[in-house]
Amino acid sequence: MMLKSYIRFLLGGLAVLLSTQAWALDYNLKPQKIAPDTYLLQGKMQDFSRKNGGNIVNTAFIVTSEGVVVFDSGPSRRYGEAMRKVIAQVTDKPVLHLFNSHQHPDHFLGNQAFSDATIWALPKTGQQIAQNGNAYAENMYRMVGDWMRATEVLLPTHPLEAKVMMVGEHRFRFFSYTGHTGADLVMLDETTGVLFASDMVFYQRMLTTPHTPGIGTWIKELRQLADTPFKLMVPGHGPVVKDNRAVEQMIGYLKWLDETLQQAAEQGRSMHEVMKTLLPAEFAGINLGREEFVRSVVHLYPDYEEAAF
Amino acid sequence: MKIKTIRTLSLTVCLLATPVYAADNKPVDPLNSVMWDYNRQIFLGNADYVFDERIKVGVPEFAEDPTQVPVDVDATALAGNIQRIVSWADLNPIQHIFTYFPHPDVLPRVSLRIKVQQATPVRAAVLTKDGVWHVGSSWLEAAGGGCTTPSVGNANPYWESHLGETKSRIFPQTESNRYKFRVIHPMDTGLVGSIPEFFIQQVELRDDAGSALVRMELSPPVSENPVITFDVRKQAQHHLWLRDNNGNEFEKTL
Repeated sequence: MMLKSYIRFLLGGLAVLLSTQAWALDYNLKPQKIAPDTYLLQGKMQDFSRKNGGNIVNTAFIVTSEGVVVFDSGPSRRYGEAMRKVIAQVTDKPVLHLFNSHQHPDHFLGNQAFSDATIWALPKTGQQIAQNGNAYAENMYRMVGDWMRATEVLLPTHPLEAKVMMVGEHRFRFFSYTGHTGADLVMLDETTGVLFASDMVFYQRMLTTPHTPGIGTWIKELRQLADTPFKLMVPGHGPVVKDNRAVEQMIGYLKWLDETLQQAAEQGRSMHEVMKTLLPAEFAGINLGREEFVRSVVHLYPDYEEAAF
Repeated sequence: MKIKTIRTLSLTVCLLATPVYAADNKPVDPLNSVMWDYNRQIFLGNADYVFDERIKVGVPEFAEDPTQVPVDVDATALAGNIQRIVSWADLNPIQHIFTYFPHPDVLPRVSLRIKVQQATPVRAAVLTKDGVWHVGSSWLEAAGGGCTTPSVGNANPYWESHLGETKSRIFPQTESNRYKFRVIHPMDTGLVGSIPEFFIQQVELRDDAGSALVRMELSPPVSENPVITFDVRKQAQHHLWLRDNNGNEFEKTL
């Protein structure tokens, strides 16, 4: 009797384990229709983990009369394939164009699922992915594990130099910025007024700085971005907004970061001392605020120190 | 859940408050590192030691850049009673980071940046005048690779014509003056193919009379182009003297 119930317990445990395992590797993507023909797959406001499989990013697709336009392909082959299934549930039109907004892994590692489409990226983004892509992929395997299985870098096939592109009845306008990674594509669907801001804009999820050319550049470009008329802005991470509140949050934080690092350097603080700085109340509630601030100190403080000598 | 947390907490507090002793009557490493005994033998020998929370080893939770991990060692709680401080990273291929001999006019506090090869405990062992080592420890998470990555300078010949070039500044603080300097040096670990080890080995902060206020011995895990801070109580003219393992000497008046 004892042994029997013990075996039953073991089998039950195994069943639970297997079912959670199966559940764990499903991205469970749910498209939200945010505008006519326009669907958003909103990622979690988290960091990469084995639990979320790297689904921390916003991707989107637009169903035109001619075919589908996709903005960013997600963090893994599995994500890209899940995205294709979602697209196929919405429309039977072919996927014509995929745009990779920038070099970061959660925006292009799903490319393998779009090998039948034209994959566009800014010319510099293509070079950056060619140079850093494999290192990013390796790092993603380390951080999210089996979700990455069979993921390899598929480079963008076409350098994007056009400013405007018509696909079906949709007219897309492209903006080339640099603030987040040195080459950042922002896409405005002039037909619907949806602005795909990529990682130039984060909202309620703290911005990341590993490849920014500088806070000043980013702020300047955010001001230009804020002048672009739009109806709906899709940040690279975080919820969709109808006004400039996301851009204002970005500028506010970046200005605070700049002043904080400058002051710390003027006081001779060590890097670790700066990391202990508390975020002001208005930024403390942003998801991953503390973690990303600490990372930003590593990325940016040496230049401030250098300037203070 | 809450009760459980509190119990875990109080258990942790108990563990911290009462030193745990192993069968051989030696204190047990609170980080339970497999390399503790090996490194203890190298750096502390058979001398008496205690794990002492007053020795602060400040590291970030995660090594965002494994070639530039900030470390603050603060032994001010034992100021005036210190012979030397030895710092190492248990799981680095080259464990030793620095040895520091503070003068009574200097606060026993130093900041620098290091390379790490993987997640590791980082230690600072403080030898007090009674011959006992007081060990502070922190755990550092890392993806790793910092010690086997070629220095940035390796891809850029800038350092060759600027080797030893030093920038420095004194920042007045409330109870002391902070001396901070940055020196151009590749700090090669010798663990990258065909690049022999090449690093600053000795750092001294000397007063006008030439006697050393700070004497420091560095090892290759100190990051490329080291940025180091010292806190000096006395207001006086000082100069910095550095020597690398190739015999190059660099001097700068602060």
